[in-house]
Amino acid sequence: MRRAVLAVALLMSLASIDAAAQAPSSPRGTDIPRTREGKPDFTGIWQVMNSAAWDIQDHQARKGVPAGIGVVDGNEIPYQPSALAKKRENFENRATADPETKCYLPGLPRLMYMPFPFQIFQAPGKMTMLFEYVHATRAIYTDGTPHPSGHIDWWLGDSRGRWEGDTLIVDDVDFNDETWFDRSGNFHSDQLHLVERFTPLDADHITYEVAVEDPKVFTRPWRMSMILYRHREATLQLLEYECYTFDNEFHVTPP
Amino acid sequence: MTKQFLGAVMTSMLAGIIMSTTAVRIAAQGPPPPKNPPPPGWIDPRNPPKEDPNWSPVRTADGQPSIEGQWAQASDIITYSIEDPEAERAEHIAISGQRAMIGRPIIDPIDGKIPYQPWAAKYAAFLNEEHHRPSKPQYLDPVSRGFQDGLPRINYQGALQIQQFPNTVLITYDYHHSYRVIPLDGRPHIGGNIKLWMGDSRGHWEGNTLVIDVTNNNDQTWFDIVGAFHTDQLHMVERWTISAPDHMVYIVTIDDPKVYTQPWKLRVDFRRQKVDEQWESAVWEGNLVPELVFGGAKK
Repeated sequence: MRRAVLAVALLMSLASIDAAAQAPSSPRGTDIPRTREGKPDFTGIWQVMNSAAWDIQDHQARKGVPAGIGVVDGNEIPYQPSALAKKRENFENRATADPETKCYLPGLPRLMYMPFPFQIFQAPGKMTMLFEYVHATRAIYTDGTPHPSGHIDWWLGDSRGRWEGDTLIVDDVDFNDETWFDRSGNFHSDQLHLVERFTPLDADHITYEVAVEDPKVFTRPWRMSMILYRHREATLQLLEYECYTFDNEFHVTPP
Repeated sequence: MTKQFLGAVMTSMLAGIIMSTTAVRIAAQGPPPPKNPPPPGWIDPRNPPKEDPNWSPVRTADGQPSIEGQWAQASDIITYSIEDPEAERAEHIAISGQRAMIGRPIIDPIDGKIPYQPWAAKYAAFLNEEHHRPSKPQYLDPVSRGFQDGLPRINYQGALQIQQFPNTVLITYDYHHSYRVIPLDGRPHIGGNIKLWMGDSRGHWEGNTLVIDVTNNNDQTWFDIVGAFHTDQLHMVERWTISAPDHMVYIVTIDDPKVYTQPWKLRVDFRRQKVDEQWESAVWEGNLVPELVFGGAKK
């Protein structure tokens, strides 16, 4: 009898180890912070740990560019033939042609994987994202409102979100054609349409997936995915990277 | 060139002496009444309505007095000149045809002038002179160059939205997507060698007043277009008081021991607005002011 109890206890402890090992792939049952309404609470400071801002596809290291396994599903981007030629031209001229070198707002989804922290504040009906990089901001409305009418040329588009279970799904349109996906010349037109999916992996990680569509540039939709990591440093706060100020001369106050 | 510069300095010094004499006269008399009729609903920063001491605001879930919502200034303050909006806007009005605003935000000292130390008054007069036809890009208004306003200027640059979270107040501004995250948890300021365009804010509540201590400012922002300036020793204490359901009083005490003879105070009254979506305000991307003034390609 006693031996049987011990055996059961041993089995149970093995089972719990097994469950713990599998926990990251199943958010249910883990300690995801939640809002009063029961939605995952993404409030906090986040950042990617990848080199997608330099190149979203597989790439070996170049001077000043860390190597990286690409974030594009299947690695290939389905460019239309003329667009592929344009991408290659962009790559050749990237040192000056990348709009990011002019410190412009980097567009979406690039803003999400710039190598700088960003902060999320979550309120009912609205999620505010603040970025250290050029103090960019995003407002994602989750109040059921539609995109504004007409095409609007915005650097960061218009974002409307909705919850599907624990996943925040964000629809983005109204982009201009002046931003790139990365320093390597991957680009889009003003017909860019994104669907972002934010799914909690556990308390400190979000799976971030983006479906990309642009009938002027690509032959079919394609996807990228990566992980957003929560900053756990207790004293961390957003500082400033006012990119466009660095090459300017400043006034000097006389003594 | 040197002779011209010296001439400019001499002129500035002379102007400084005349200005300080004028200042003494105004201090004795109080500021002159505005020449233009005030706009409807104007709140005079120097003669505000009485506050109801028994007013008790709605509270947020975590017990803060609620100041959430969208606010815009009702003080008729322009960023052109905070010291003398009427006299100094003649050129601006001639160019833009804008109505002259009448709000005089400096409530202490009573003459409405920034209490510059003598050397700083000369430099401010020099910048004021330069603003008509800047000799270098450095003497252009930093905001017109596409840089962030800094504080307190961003507060009277346009509308703002406030959201409150446990231990944090968030302010997002309509202009230039500027924002402030204001911790309320008593954490110390960041290291003194980190200078920021928007400063480092630490807040706490005193009754119905959100008190924010702002340090770590860089020395590159101005309070207005004509060059009211400070150094990186700037220290501000902002007091945001919800004084009625739709009225918030903002009084900031500004100190910089390198520049001013005493701390001075600036007041802005905010009126509640209907909460609206804040749409993109890209400023740097299309800004060509330095290129138009000095030529050359956009950096």
